[in-house]
Amino acid sequence: MNQDAALTDCAPGERHCITCGDAASVMRVLELDHDTALCADLDDAAQRVAIDLVGPVAVGDELLVHAGVAIRALGGPA
Amino acid sequence: MRYVDEFRDAQLGQALAAEILAAADPGRHLKLMEICGGHTHSIYKYSLGDLLPANVELVHGPGCPVCVIPMGRVDDGIALARTDGLIFTCFGDMLRVPGSEQTLLDAKAQGADVRMVYSPLDALAIARKNPDREVVFFAIGFETTAPSTALTLRRAKAEGMANFTCMCNHVTIVPPLRALLESPDLRLDGFVGPGHVCTIVGTRLFEFIPADYGRPIVISGFEPLDILQSILMLVRQHRDGRCEVENQYTRVVPRDGNPRALEVMAEVFELRPHFEWRGLGSIPHSALGLSEAYREFDAERRFDVPGVSVADPKACQCGEVLKGVIKPWECRVFGTACTPEHAIGTCMVSPEGACAAYYNYGRLAAPKQAV
Repeated sequence: MNQDAALTDCAPGERHCITCGDAASVMRVLELDHDTALCADLDDAAQRVAIDLVGPVAVGDELLVHAGVAIRALGGPA
Repeated sequence: MRYVDEFRDAQLGQALAAEILAAADPGRHLKLMEICGGHTHSIYKYSLGDLLPANVELVHGPGCPVCVIPMGRVDDGIALARTDGLIFTCFGDMLRVPGSEQTLLDAKAQGADVRMVYSPLDALAIARKNPDREVVFFAIGFETTAPSTALTLRRAKAEGMANFTCMCNHVTIVPPLRALLESPDLRLDGFVGPGHVCTIVGTRLFEFIPADYGRPIVISGFEPLDILQSILMLVRQHRDGRCEVENQYTRVVPRDGNPRALEVMAEVFELRPHFEWRGLGSIPHSALGLSEAYREFDAERRFDVPGVSVADPKACQCGEVLKGVIKPWECRVFGTACTPEHAIGTCMVSPEGACAAYYNYGRLAAPKQAV
């Protein structure tokens, strides 16, 4: 991947641009820490996510995440 | 992962395509617009158009914020980025959007301290680490992204951050849709609606489309089966003589949206009287500025921003692409003077832009549709 392509590859693996209002990813909660959660994406890459905008979440829950902020709690694994 | 793997099943995709074929009236040509760039990207990435009958046509809408930002705002951002001692932060795809003469990446190469962030919260973290320098976040995006900016500014205010400001370019989806629906050169038979915008604002916001304009809309997820099912739901509405808002993306989207996100947005933002859209012109109440309570965090008030207005390049037909009037390959500079590596138009910059999506995934496999 060239540098220009890497600059737009903000959602790894998906080639989405983050500024698209509709690029959001499902992530799983690994750890909780006050107003943030350490989450893993499809490729198990970890990222800290703000959880202020969703209700109470638990380890193992799945979140819809956009720009480092959870915008919807999707509940626990089926 | 749940919600992903099962929505990429090829056999189920073929079955949905057969149902669309069965439900579509062969005597009627349906022109359906997917509003947001995320859908455009998925449609090309998974070649969904190839699964549809010839009389069900997809056209691409204005829902890629990178694609609709006017050159003047990019020039303003570059001017701000050149301010001595200032750290300018933005999402990665903004770096390559062409202004009238340069991109932010050019400015960075010439010495401006331009940094790519994944989240506005990362920009705030940079401000914390650099208390002696001004840090500006160039905010862009529809209602899905605006809450993350609002949350960041709420935290900045709570922490009393004096060196952090935001150049706000957030836009709202309803005004350009109304402008499109009232455009005399456009004929549309329905919409694939923006699933993640609706996660924030709810499906209720789109009830004006069937009520005021007599067009159906189906709020859709982003996996290939989501989009095919949404198209099927639109085709069935036409077959059954219905015209309503339907929600295909029920696993994520509630009717009333995310109240916490709406609350923080109402606290931090207010509607701008007007905002310039690339290709669509000035649209009233179509963008967000910072509210009086957050005026100290407004980069346009703290710094001398030129506020320039720049006409789109004459060769570029992004405006017609954004309105769905022409297909990407019908633009005179598509794939020749304008490519993802050397973009003239914004639709070729972002992977969600219709031109870039078609260039990356569709141009080699397409039938000879080029003009």
